[in-house]
Amino acid sequence: MQLRRALGLLPLALLLVAWQAAVVAKVYPAVLLPSPEKVAMVFVDDWDTVAGHALASIGRVVTGISLAFLFAVPLGLMIGRYRLLDTMTDWSIQIFRSIPPIALIPLALLFLGIGDKPAIALIFLAGTWPLLINTIFGVRNIERTLIKVARAARASELLVMKDIILPAALPAIFTGLRLAVGGGWLTVVTAEMIAVKSGLGYMILNAQLTFRSDLIIAGIIVIGAIGLLADQAVRLVRARVCRWQEGLTAAPE
Amino acid sequence: MSKFIECVSVGKTYPGKTESVEALRGIDIACDEGDFVCLLGRSGCGKSTLLQIVAGLERASEGQIVVANRELDGPSPDAAIVFQDHGLFPWMTVQRNVEFNMKARGTRAAERAETARRFLEMTGLTGFADRYPHELSGGMRQRVGIARALTTGPKALLMDEPFGALDAQTRSKLQDELLQIWEKQRTTVLFVTHSIDEALLLADRVLVFTPRPGRIAADIKVDLPRPRAPQSPAFMALAAELRGLIGADRDFD
Repeated sequence: MQLRRALGLLPLALLLVAWQAAVVAKVYPAVLLPSPEKVAMVFVDDWDTVAGHALASIGRVVTGISLAFLFAVPLGLMIGRYRLLDTMTDWSIQIFRSIPPIALIPLALLFLGIGDKPAIALIFLAGTWPLLINTIFGVRNIERTLIKVARAARASELLVMKDIILPAALPAIFTGLRLAVGGGWLTVVTAEMIAVKSGLGYMILNAQLTFRSDLIIAGIIVIGAIGLLADQAVRLVRARVCRWQEGLTAAPE
Repeated sequence: MSKFIECVSVGKTYPGKTESVEALRGIDIACDEGDFVCLLGRSGCGKSTLLQIVAGLERASEGQIVVANRELDGPSPDAAIVFQDHGLFPWMTVQRNVEFNMKARGTRAAERAETARRFLEMTGLTGFADRYPHELSGGMRQRVGIARALTTGPKALLMDEPFGALDAQTRSKLQDELLQIWEKQRTTVLFVTHSIDEALLLADRVLVFTPRPGRIAADIKVDLPRPRAPQSPAFMALAAELRGLIGADRDFD
């Protein structure tokens, strides 16, 4: 199992080899394409810079996605449960989720100015739609018998929400959370290139202005690594919370 | 005193786009307290629909229903239902599943746990309290469903083909257990089945349904002492009579 897991590193190793080969073959001058070794040194020499910007980005995503979660999950549970709400909101959701958050950067800057606020607002939007849509989907897919059991038991609406609708939708909510975290992470980097003076997006763009291609690549690696870690973290929490699902879903061969 | 479960000219029509479907017409039933009554018929004859109506989960298009001296308006607090696909919440342990109906009534946690323990013991599930439904066999799941239904001390037990999805041995075992429970608790049982043998093994009375629209073709008293032997001449004579009434060549199990 451990050995199999290591297979996931294979494509990355191949990429590293190709990179080193390109450096040796001098495909681009060293100023444009630094060697892997030089990029690795960034993590030693410029550690404080990289870590500081990474923390700024992470903070924004955590804030934005938390707000999106608190907003979208309760709303999704209600929309999924009550047909009238669904009819009322369906078109709006379909319209707004088609708008890339990036397209809203100019408006966000006009309304919220430069700084954390526009970035967090955009991450909030990026996270809201997948969370909302997946929560609604999760509620919709509840087995009808289970709702009948609750009705026959004359369970209160609050108990139905808490003990039936929410846990039944939880796996789908976590799917939404994975998408939201992924989308939020994409958005933060872009937003930081325009709207803020800190964060990995800002760091990369600034590195281009100062011809620090090693810092650019280091930044990209950090962005990818954090993306992977965030996804793994959500999966881990999901496996914990939805333990009852084990053995219910088919495992891939 | 009126009958314990009483239906007076109950009908059910499903409106359709082109034509409406009449599922039930002119159903009259009068059940005494403590009776074990089977609703027998082929699939699609409306027997399950009638049970859902008596359970308060569906509305009758016409007619009156009285359960425990109360005109029915939604699920009755005096009735409990057992569903064919058991209707257990996959995210709750057996213990929490069995406690659900009590929780819906606001029973205190300590009392819930004690009552659940008692009914788990009665249904032979001691030691499985902490398992999840998917870890149990089909027969055990249905035992959990029955235990859950019994916890609120219902005066009427409504069972919708509860053993329909089980293999022959398990089914026969659960039939025996159900009779034992019924003899102990003396609840009124309304039991939907499409199996002639099952109806004759269990019921005091068999109401035979014919389809399109569903109505009661016959009301047969089963005056055989329990436990009943399917090989006895009296049993076989009744089975032949029922076969003739539903218009089947053989038991369509």
